[in-house]
Amino acid sequence: MTRYLLIFLAGFAGSLHCVGMCGGFACAMGPGRGHMATVLRHLSYNIGRVVTYCFMGALVGYLGAQIIHGWEETSLAIAQRMLAFVSGALMILIGLQFFGIFQRLNQGAGVGGQLFIQALRDLLKHPSPFAPLAFGVINGFLPCPLVFAFVIQASASGDPLSGFLIMAALGLGTLPAMFLMGGLGARFRSKPRQVNEPAVSVRLFKGHDTGLWQWPNWRLQGVRIAGVFIILLGLITIGRGVLPIGTHIHIL
Amino acid sequence: MNSDSCSSIQCSHCQLPVGKGEFFREVEGEIHRFCCYGCCLAYQVHRGAREEPEAAWLLIRLGVGAFLAMNIMLFSLLLYSGSLGVADGYLIQGVHVLLWILATPVLLILGGPFIYNACRQALHGRVTADALVSIGALAAYGYSALQVIAAGEVVYFDTATMVLVLFTLGRYIEAMGRVRTARSLAPMLEAERATATVVAGGQDHEQFVTRVRPGMVVRVRPGERVPVDGMVTEGRSACNEAVLTGQSEEKLKVPGSAVHAGSINANGQLLIRASVPGADTQWMRMSRQIREMLGHQSLAGALVDRIAALFVPAVLLLAIGTVYYWSGYTAFEQAMMAGVAVLVVACPCALGLAAPLATAIGLGRAAQHGILIRGGRILERLGQIRAVAFDKTGTLTTGNLEVVGATAIDGNQQGLLERSAGLAHGSEHPIARAIQHYVHDRGVIPTPGIELEAHPGQGMTGVLDGALTAMGSENYMVGLGCSIPALLVEKVAANKCGCTLVYVGWDHQVRGLLELSDAPKAGARTMIQALHLAGIETCLLSGDNEPAVTRTAHLLGIQEWRAGLLPVDKVAALKVWERRHGSVAMVGDGLNDGPVLANASVGIAVGEASDLARETADITLPKAALGQLPGLIQLAHRVRKVVLTNAGWALGYNLVALGLAAQGLLLPIIAAALMAGSSLMVVANSLRAGRESATPVSDNDAFYLQSH
Repeated sequence: MTRYLLIFLAGFAGSLHCVGMCGGFACAMGPGRGHMATVLRHLSYNIGRVVTYCFMGALVGYLGAQIIHGWEETSLAIAQRMLAFVSGALMILIGLQFFGIFQRLNQGAGVGGQLFIQALRDLLKHPSPFAPLAFGVINGFLPCPLVFAFVIQASASGDPLSGFLIMAALGLGTLPAMFLMGGLGARFRSKPRQVNEPAVSVRLFKGHDTGLWQWPNWRLQGVRIAGVFIILLGLITIGRGVLPIGTHIHIL
Repeated sequence: MNSDSCSSIQCSHCQLPVGKGEFFREVEGEIHRFCCYGCCLAYQVHRGAREEPEAAWLLIRLGVGAFLAMNIMLFSLLLYSGSLGVADGYLIQGVHVLLWILATPVLLILGGPFIYNACRQALHGRVTADALVSIGALAAYGYSALQVIAAGEVVYFDTATMVLVLFTLGRYIEAMGRVRTARSLAPMLEAERATATVVAGGQDHEQFVTRVRPGMVVRVRPGERVPVDGMVTEGRSACNEAVLTGQSEEKLKVPGSAVHAGSINANGQLLIRASVPGADTQWMRMSRQIREMLGHQSLAGALVDRIAALFVPAVLLLAIGTVYYWSGYTAFEQAMMAGVAVLVVACPCALGLAAPLATAIGLGRAAQHGILIRGGRILERLGQIRAVAFDKTGTLTTGNLEVVGATAIDGNQQGLLERSAGLAHGSEHPIARAIQHYVHDRGVIPTPGIELEAHPGQGMTGVLDGALTAMGSENYMVGLGCSIPALLVEKVAANKCGCTLVYVGWDHQVRGLLELSDAPKAGARTMIQALHLAGIETCLLSGDNEPAVTRTAHLLGIQEWRAGLLPVDKVAALKVWERRHGSVAMVGDGLNDGPVLANASVGIAVGEASDLARETADITLPKAALGQLPGLIQLAHRVRKVVLTNAGWALGYNLVALGLAAQGLLLPIIAAALMAGSSLMVVANSLRAGRESATPVSDNDAFYLQSH
């Protein structure tokens, strides 16, 4: 259980990244007709998002299991170790990215990326009560380093159930912050947004002169904490790959 | 933001420092930095306009369906891996029922449209691709439902729902491919929704441009698009006609100027009297044509339908055969899954996209350069041509005379030019004007003259420097009593250039000779060279005299020519040439070349698009855009290549996948994912074609400008 708690905490700290990246979506989702409708909109958005995470977790867990079991019985342990080692290394790389250490791959926004953008754009302000759910589902596939790191962790688990639980823990960790953003968005929507103005989420905490509101700093610290969690989990995963079989790492 | 870490460069989206690994991306012409790819995508979601509300509904269905299907898949994966406790049969039954409950709405919201279309087509006696998807999904769903009722062990709700999700995704990709194409051609498509402010009885009425009739007066405010073809009756303003001519410099429009629908009115208000019905403007026709192309469902409409009419039942038989064959060897479930995979993978969705997108982009790109192509088939034929025949006068040449040579008996060319310019000053005749231009370009000061007198069709006289000076044809000069020196007579006898000759003389003696000829258009030579470089043969078919045609052909570097042809002879000559080179495009001015243009594989008329509205040419090229002919042919070649690649890809992919599926090597879900991927490939390939083909045309322009 400790492992899932750790992931939950990583998600919680990492959600300060979500606030920047996806908080704007939560804000823009806006209020529905009435208080309940608003809550429902944000609930279905977040459920959609988390279900996508869970699905990805179970799927890559299943694929991981297929990779591992695809090997001969004798080399099964080796396959498991290799998977763990590669996954752990990738997680550490992603974790270090949160500290701005590695050059990121400059993926091109090809037709796929453009369709993705268009899909989210078309859904964002759609009045249908089902639009937030659909938006959440698609939002969940948005390539985010935090999600990547844990998808890799899930694949290393080599088991759909563990993969599902890992991603569920992450998703739940991001819930509070995202809900908060939705609430704040609904409250501060009275003023229409200017073309080049940052999202409400960013504007609210752009601590002008007051030292108290140095929000980007807070967020940066939070994101770094998430990075530490990811590196830690990556190290443990690598450990599973290289340490002798008898060694037991307690929290896993 | 006073701390050190915040003073570094921030992500344009989430405002966190980007660190070392910054990520550049140009969004709407501005360079932005992002901390990750996700932020880059998210940023673009917040910019840009929403559009296509139908697409949003498709997306909502897709999203909700995917939500349910992902839940089903999740549980199914847990079941497969045994995580849910296989021993506990009771629990498994419960999960199966839950999956059934989740799968049913997916079948309704995502499967509904497929099933509805399949039934509608079936009523007309047609079996379409929708039928394949429907049967596949229904088979998996129905079998699973029976299993739940019979308390069986295996259900395939995940297959039924995921196949539907992935196929709907494929449909969405197709739809968005069309939308993106339409967007890249937006200025052309704007015509359909255009409105005009009609001034009637001193009041302005806003109405759809299709309801504008000739004679109505339309008000165009600054910054608006001109909605009608017509004539300015009031106001002055500059208009940008780029959408029609491809040239972006603005033209001043004053009362009496012709204006064309689609051009953008820059700074002043104009009142325009419409000359054609609003639905018949050039702009509107382009727009309609592109829209028709975008709407095309299939490769060649009827052809694909005919193929599908045979193909789909064949696939159904193959699927049944697969199930029958495999059920003899394996469990029935596995045999059925192989059959479903066959149905799913045989769906020729990408094939339907192969041609329309690339063709619409091709037509649109051409239209952006002012080139009107009448339909996708013409573009396809143009992509096949290997040779181009040209008409001479007005097409490759300016149709205006130019001085190409001056001979002075005494060797004093300067003096000859000064006097002929002095005479030419008194006339507006094309020859006189050509002489004025020639002299002016060389910085020669005309000799001032008095008593200038023109004799139409013959020549002119005047008194220059106290001497009676004349200029004109041989007969005219002889009639004035001038003698022609033997040297000039020899020179004239040797004249092989087919030029118009003008004698200049004073003091009863012809002193010199000016040769005038129809000059090649600026850029014509470069254009011909570019065609040769691209491996395209050229030929000149002209009604003009032999020497003149020979001279033009030499000047332009054209190897083959035929002179003195009547329109009927031109058709015959073209046929002869076609036999040698395969399909040939004919380029003419569209006025007296009608028959030959109509008989060529592709007839290309050069001239102002608006003049030629009634002409039957396949392609209309604005006069200024002649230099873009090589680029246009290249574009057509490229579009053709993309269409063939797409069709080859879609067909080959389907056949290979079909083989695998029939052998039971492909899971239906993976088959469906492959089909969605295939659609994405075809869309990406088609859009790439548009981007690439934009370059050669403009490169050509650059080349054209450099060399002149």
